[in-house]
Amino acid sequence: MKTAATVNVEPSRPGLLSRLYVPAILGGMAVTMRHFLRNLLGQKDVATIQYPEERREYSDRTRGRHILTTRDDGSLRCVACYMCETNCPADCITIVAEEDPEATVEWEKRPLSFEIDLLRCVFCGYCVDACPKEALIMSRHHEMAFTTRDEAIVGIEDLKQKGPIENEDLGYRPYY
Amino acid sequence: MTDSLRKAGMSQTALLELFPGGDTFDAHTASDGFVEMLVDRSRLVDVLKTLRNHPDLACDLLLDICGVDHPERDQRFEVVYHLTSLDKGHRFRIKVPVAEDEPSVPSAYGIWKAADWFEREAWDMMGIRFDGHPNLRRILTHEAFQGHPLRKDYDPAQRWVLTESETMVPDWVTERPEDEDHFETQILNLGPSHPATHGTLRIVVRLDGEVITRAETEIGYLHRCFEKMSETHGWNEVIPYTDRLNYCSAMNNGVGYALGVESMLGVEAPPRAQVVRLILCEFSRLMDHAVCLGANLVDLGALTNFWYFFQPREEIYSLLEACAGGRLTVSYARIGGLAQDVPHDFSSRVRQLLRTIPKFIDDVDRLVTSNRIFRDRTEGVGVMSAAEAVAWGWTGPCLRASGVPFDLRRELPYLGYDQYEFDIPVATTGDCYARYLVRLEEMRQSLRIIEQAIERLPGGPVITDNHHVALPPKSKVYSEMESLIWHFKLIYDGIKVPPGAAYTATEGSNGELGFYIIADGSGHPYRLKVRPPCFAIFQAYSHMLEGHLVSDAIAILGSLNIIAGELDR
Amino acid sequence: MRQPDGSSAVLTTRIETMLAWARKNSLWPLPFGTACCAIEFMSTVSSHYDLARFGAEVVRFSPRQSDMMIVAGTITDKMAPVVKRVYDQMAEPKYVISMGACACTGGFYRAYHVVQGVDEFIPVDVYVPGCPPTPEALIEGVLKLQELIQRGETQYDRLASKGRHVTDSSA
Repeated sequence: MKTAATVNVEPSRPGLLSRLYVPAILGGMAVTMRHFLRNLLGQKDVATIQYPEERREYSDRTRGRHILTTRDDGSLRCVACYMCETNCPADCITIVAEEDPEATVEWEKRPLSFEIDLLRCVFCGYCVDACPKEALIMSRHHEMAFTTRDEAIVGIEDLKQKGPIENEDLGYRPYY
Repeated sequence: MTDSLRKAGMSQTALLELFPGGDTFDAHTASDGFVEMLVDRSRLVDVLKTLRNHPDLACDLLLDICGVDHPERDQRFEVVYHLTSLDKGHRFRIKVPVAEDEPSVPSAYGIWKAADWFEREAWDMMGIRFDGHPNLRRILTHEAFQGHPLRKDYDPAQRWVLTESETMVPDWVTERPEDEDHFETQILNLGPSHPATHGTLRIVVRLDGEVITRAETEIGYLHRCFEKMSETHGWNEVIPYTDRLNYCSAMNNGVGYALGVESMLGVEAPPRAQVVRLILCEFSRLMDHAVCLGANLVDLGALTNFWYFFQPREEIYSLLEACAGGRLTVSYARIGGLAQDVPHDFSSRVRQLLRTIPKFIDDVDRLVTSNRIFRDRTEGVGVMSAAEAVAWGWTGPCLRASGVPFDLRRELPYLGYDQYEFDIPVATTGDCYARYLVRLEEMRQSLRIIEQAIERLPGGPVITDNHHVALPPKSKVYSEMESLIWHFKLIYDGIKVPPGAAYTATEGSNGELGFYIIADGSGHPYRLKVRPPCFAIFQAYSHMLEGHLVSDAIAILGSLNIIAGELDR
Repeated sequence: MRQPDGSSAVLTTRIETMLAWARKNSLWPLPFGTACCAIEFMSTVSSHYDLARFGAEVVRFSPRQSDMMIVAGTITDKMAPVVKRVYDQMAEPKYVISMGACACTGGFYRAYHVVQGVDEFIPVDVYVPGCPPTPEALIEGVLKLQELIQRGETQYDRLASKGRHVTDSSA
């Protein structure tokens, strides 16, 4: 069992050279000039990402805007079990359930309305973790700006998966 | 009896004999390693004095004072004191029951100065009066607030509006000091909207020219009711809230909280989760120190270092985002382990970071450490002696810069810290320069720990398979009925933590981050008190300012690393 | 370019377009950062994303010298009078971006000390969701504000066209 050693970080007394202002200034300028010249001459190494032309590559676990997935026939996978609404710490999901006339033996309900208030949402991903049907996942789309609060309450039409799932920019999906 | 008391050769009876009237107390060792004593209000001051002054007990650091509300009991409130001895390692918890019709106890301010703000908070949140406290006013909520929010009968959503005319003005603002010479002094308000206050802090100072003669701080501008929110949300749902406590190093808070709940459940995270937690916690500590030093240097006029320190921060963000999905507020820890396994390229990314980050630290070191201007501005400024620091309840890099080598990673190891070789930097001067040096060295030591940890990353699961605690894997939930039922029960009912209480502390970036958790068997915490390291550090600030210049005040504030999310909760 | 009664003067459309172009490309922000979103704001002005490329070079903490207030972080009831005062001190035209869930709606803090959205007492032009919003999301918000300024559809334009000062709009 190792025990951490205590090490004293007292600085040494400043020597003559560091008491003069000029050597420290020159040393500092050398560091900054090195960065400056590297940025000027090696354009591709510059740290700045030229948004919106260039975008940073986010991981495939990014928690962005939600997607309601669909089955092959286009109907929502969501069975309105209210797990996501219960697990959400921000209480930003509002579901109204109804009986699904096209139900098979595997489910009974579907959502009549499924609204997420994107301005309340803290993008924690707990709703995705809670869903037992993988009906709610998140995409990598996180650049949303609204002009009114009502615009941010999105319903089924805005959240529904558009087209095949491979075309969506998938982000956070459930593991546990 | 705890190990520390056994080492001191003390049995339970011998311990109780040290206190006047000790045979009437109830003392036992709690499951979290604290010696818990139930003391009557009339004997409280004697007990606390003995704990502090007796050479075998020497409890010189007051960790926390909080109130707990039990409406169903005769004695409704309970005031809980957490104490520790830096030399001997004893940890004590003193509980004082107090009835509702006379909710007051004697103040501990005369024994430990650290009691100052903790008692004000207990007054604000619970309505418990502390007789003899010099300034018992509301601290977190505003002047027009009515009621005591953490009482069980207070509606969490009940708000009170503050108008500008009701903002707090200290009493001494209108007094004229007698020794004032023929030049008038001026009252200046620094903050809460101020570029140098690193968040929402307000400092009211009396200036004689540019010298500060008296100061008072006001906090609570970011009081987001974390403790009340944790009482209304499930155990796992508290984790996103913990991220927002010390938001510069979000992972540390979540892990500290999860360790606390896991100890109460008797569940341990698997080894792989422990190592990943350790690696990400050390990266978070590095990020926090980077922001602290960067912001401190900006206040002193050195803007370049801020940019240099934000580069490693961005790179660590990429790593956290690849693991957890979020850059800053990760919500990666879960009770029982981690939310998901790390990505496949985790080891190579960590090694890449270990190669690139030291360059930035070295750059800043070269620019700043021996710089005459920086040394003149920070040496001898904001000096805090070791004894004073302990009296005020300081922990973390600020305490270590004053010469006290106290680090919970060594004293009470968790996450396997005792298996790694690292140094604990300590300085003796206790000024801003010392705090800068300690933090810079801690960043290097964090990299050292990560280097060792990544070699030892074991395989295996990242969350416990105890389905009373952790969600089953989705592959099983989609296919097996039993897993689906576990899933439903965990989401709807939550984790059922058995009734009990525990105080778990971890070494956060600023010091001892403690969580005092009381569970009552339901799916959400009964009481969750956070012991924020910044709170104890910042209460000494107004006393440190006297005699300094305004610019020194800003330099000192930057060196203390006050994060308002943790300070105000 | 408004007459005192609020109506638009003649032959000013070109000038208004030019003014809008100038204003949108030189938005000097007042970062009213309280919490975690302030850290993401710091990331936005740092070298990786660099808000200065959009004209927001001068980050002034003084309300007199800025025209865009970015409310970044939770606003509590204790902080609310301070926000209102700082907003009132800004010179017109002034715009507000509400950054993050807490500033927009109170986020997941449905609590006794948190203002449920900063638009309770100041008019907001752009709401940026996220907790915290990534720097790209914030830059998207700034771009959206620039669009609104170009089209003349900000809260300032709306209230100025009614002949009222923006500070009267505290409802």
